[in-house]
Parts: sequence; C-alpha cells; structure tokens
Amino acid sequence: MSAGHDDHGTGGLDLTLHIWRQESSEAEGRFETYPLHGVSPDMSFLEMLDVLNEQLTLEGRDPVAFDHDCREGICGSCGMMINGQAHGPERETATCQLHMRRFKSGDTIFIEPFRARAFPLLKDLVVDRSAFDRIIAKGGFISVNTGSARDANSLPAAKQDADLSMDAAACIGCGACVAACPNAAAMLFVGAKVSHLGLLPQGKPERSRRVLAMVAQMDAEGFGNCGNIYECEAACPKAISVENIARLNRDYLLASATERPSSAQGEGA
Amino acid sequence: MTSRLQTFLRSSIGKKLLMALTGLSLIGFLVVHLAGNLTLFVDSDGSAMAAYAQKLADLGPLLWIAEAGLLLLFVVHIGLGMRAAMENRDARPSRYKDAAPKGGRSAASVTMIATGVVIGIFVVIHVIDFRLMKGLLAHPDPATLAKVVVARLSTPLGASIYFIAMIALGVHLWHAFQSALQTLGLRHPAYDACIRKTGAGLAVVVAGLFAAFPVLCLIYKGNWPWS
Ligand code: SF4
Ligand code: FES
Repeated sequence: MSAGHDDHGTGGLDLTLHIWRQESSEAEGRFETYPLHGVSPDMSFLEMLDVLNEQLTLEGRDPVAFDHDCREGICGSCGMMINGQAHGPERETATCQLHMRRFKSGDTIFIEPFRARAFPLLKDLVVDRSAFDRIIAKGGFISVNTGSARDANSLPAAKQDADLSMDAAACIGCGACVAACPNAAAMLFVGAKVSHLGLLPQGKPERSRRVLAMVAQMDAEGFGNCGNIYECEAACPKAISVENIARLNRDYLLASATERPSSAQGEGA
Repeated sequence: MTSRLQTFLRSSIGKKLLMALTGLSLIGFLVVHLAGNLTLFVDSDGSAMAAYAQKLADLGPLLWIAEAGLLLLFVVHIGLGMRAAMENRDARPSRYKDAAPKGGRSAASVTMIATGVVIGIFVVIHVIDFRLMKGLLAHPDPATLAKVVVARLSTPLGASIYFIAMIALGVHLWHAFQSALQTLGLRHPAYDACIRKTGAGLAVVVAGLFAAFPVLCLIYKGNWPWS
C-alpha cells in the first residue's frame, strides 16, 4: 500500500524534533529539542506529535500545544511550519494528512507556529486565526430569505463558473497562505472566498459590497501587501490558484468604481 | 467622489494597482529611452544622437512637462514600494528559523525591493550626471554629445555602475510585467504562458540592450566597426 511498509519491524524512525515552545503570547519563545524513537512511518505528523505529548505527559512535562480537529484535511484547524514550510514538504497536503513516511530515520525536524502579526501566538504552535473569521463575518456569506427550499436547478449556473467556484470553495481557511507568504498577506484566502461566492448566481447580488467589506477588514487586520510572489499557491493544501487573487483585484477595482453608498441601496426595491 | 477614490487608494489593492500602473508607464518610458540610446550606434561621428537630442530640445516646455510627469511616476512608484516594504516588515514581526520556499517564489520576485533600490540609486546618479550637470539636452552639440556619453561609459567605473544597474533592471523587470498584469486582474489560463514569456522577453531584451552600451563603449570607444 505504501513505501512505508518497508520500515515495519525495523523499529521505525528515530527523529530529533526542535519545537517552538512559548507559554503565552507575552512570554519569550524558544526552540526545545526532543528526541523521538521508533516512530511508525504510517503515522500522520499529528499522531507523531501525540506520541511525543504522551511521553512528555508521562514525564510530568507540559505537552506541546497544537491545533487540530478533523484530522482528515477538511477543517483547516491544523497547521504549522515544518522545516520552514507551511504544512511541511508535501504539496497539497494539510499537516494532518502529512505522513511520517515522508521523513527518514535520523532526520532533524524544526516545528514552528505560523508567524504573522495578524495571527497572534497563543501557546506553542497554536495561533489565533480569528482575523479570518472577522473577514468572513464581513461578507463571506449570502443573504437569503428563509422559507422552503428552492427547486433544484431553478437557478442556472454555467458549468464553468460552478467549477471555478467549487475550486475556490475548497479553501479550508487554514492560513498556510499567510504563513508562507514572505509578506504575510492574506490575498489567497480572501480571493478564494470572494470568488467562491461571487461566481455563483446566489452570491452575485452582494458581490460588490462583499469584496469591498472583506478587503477593508483584511487591511484592518494588519496582513501584509501582496507582491505576487505566489508562495501562497505553492503552500496551499487545497491548491487554491492565484487566479483567485487576480479576480479579487478585478472585483475590487470594479466594485470601488461602481458600488453605490449603502444608503442608496434598496431604494425603490 | 473624492472619498471613494481616497478609500480605494488607501486600500492595499488600490496601492498595488497604482504601483502596477506607474511601473507599466515606466516600462514604456524605458523602451522609448532605449530607442533614443540606440541612435548612438548609428554612426561614429555622433550626428544621429545629436539630431535625436535636438528633437527633444525642440519640444521646449513640453519636455519639461514630460519630465515632471516622469518624476512623478518615479516618486509614486518608489514611495509606494518603500511603504509596502515597511508594512510587510510589520506584518511579520518574528521571522522563521529557515523559511524554505515551496516553489512559488523566484529570485526576481523576492528581491524587488533590493533591485528597486539599486535602480533608484542609479537613476539619481544618472540624472545628475547626464541631465543636470552636463545639460546635454539643453545644448545638443553634435561634436560633443556622443563623445561625452562614450567617454562616461568607457571608464571602468562608469561602465560597471551602468552594467550592474542594468542587470538589476533586468531582474526587476523579470517579475514586474506579469506581476503588474496580475494586479490589474488580467489573468486567464489561456494567456498565462504568453504573459510570462512577454515579461521575460522584455526583461532580457531591454536590460540586455542597455547593458550592451557600456560593454560596446569599453571595447570600441565610439568607433563602431559597422558604421
Ligand atoms: S487559500 Fe489555501 S492556504 Fe489559504 S487558507 Fe485557504 S486552504 Fe489554507
Ligand atoms: S485537522 Fe482538520 S484539516 Fe488538519
């Protein structure tokens, strides 16, 4: 099933982990070194950290704090810098889906939190990504009247737009794009959210208002400026394309020029 | 109306757009400048370059307006670049131990500020040297104009400054063109490859031709074997 099976019975991988430890946002952080022996190559990266934490707990030491939830690459909770790469060396793979067979016995692994002013560190590898939630709250939704569900297919969507929208909707909000960007910019995330909703008929009515509000919030959160370096796309576990950033730029320009002040909205409707 | 424009220009995307538009305009200027420079190689007695300089001088006040516009382009482009660099530094207060790229960045895209600074310093030297101190355009003298240019570029110091700046320009342009189009929202899979190749071609041709000036001047000292 996997190349990792060769390592069975050989006692697994012996690793040296250098992990960023920091008690709180105010505390001074530092790397601490932990040797770990007999790691199964079939373990995920997070399971490897579980093993370490079990060991630390048994020794009466403080376990390493890290975020995780679904462990199947869909929730966006996990995320750390592994040897300087967001989510580690595998492409299109969240940390929870990264497996230890990607590493060799004897490897040294540096593990750090995602670093950005807009993602303040809470503890060890856990950062506060609620800046993303605040951006979503500004427009990452569509407004609909409640009531019975519409008939399926009553709102025709072009196949091409539906496909592009679904690709953008794959964004799990993990923040790896920000972490990997040399400028800590959030344009890939915002571009994905704006594209996901704006391309479909349900999202079109609020397309202008949405992009203006979400970009304003993005700027207010203190993310950096996009330099079109495209490291975000390379780091994204869902391979969100930077085409979404171009669409964001386009939509923002158009909306800035054409959106009416909100007091004029809905007049005569 | 103004407040709408102000909001736009204060946003990160608005500033980027201004950066892209001023950058593209500067590329246009470079191409025209390059065409003018090429008159140096038309003959060995400098009359082609002098004729070109005379045409510029004949523009009179229009030349001043054009130069003021050019200055504005530089100031806005450089100002926005420095501001973005400072904001980006703030956006990541603590660094990674060893950030390892996953393949998105290029040597050109992560050195835009550095190459920009080199080009900026060069432009200041260049303008003081050729435009202000020598007043070349104010009194285009066929006998001296081309000679002054060749003399400047055939000293090892003059040639190296020029050459290094043009390499920096090439690296800057390598990223610049496609980056500007991306910022303008002009991206589509059907044109991706074409845009990249155009940007790379532009960088190589423009910077390559400019960089050839000091090299040819060093070798031939103004007596072109082909003329
Ligand atoms: S765009 Fe990609 S890297 Fe950024 S938050 Fe979404 S899934 Fe994560
Ligand atoms: S834990 Fe949910 S994506 Fe990794």
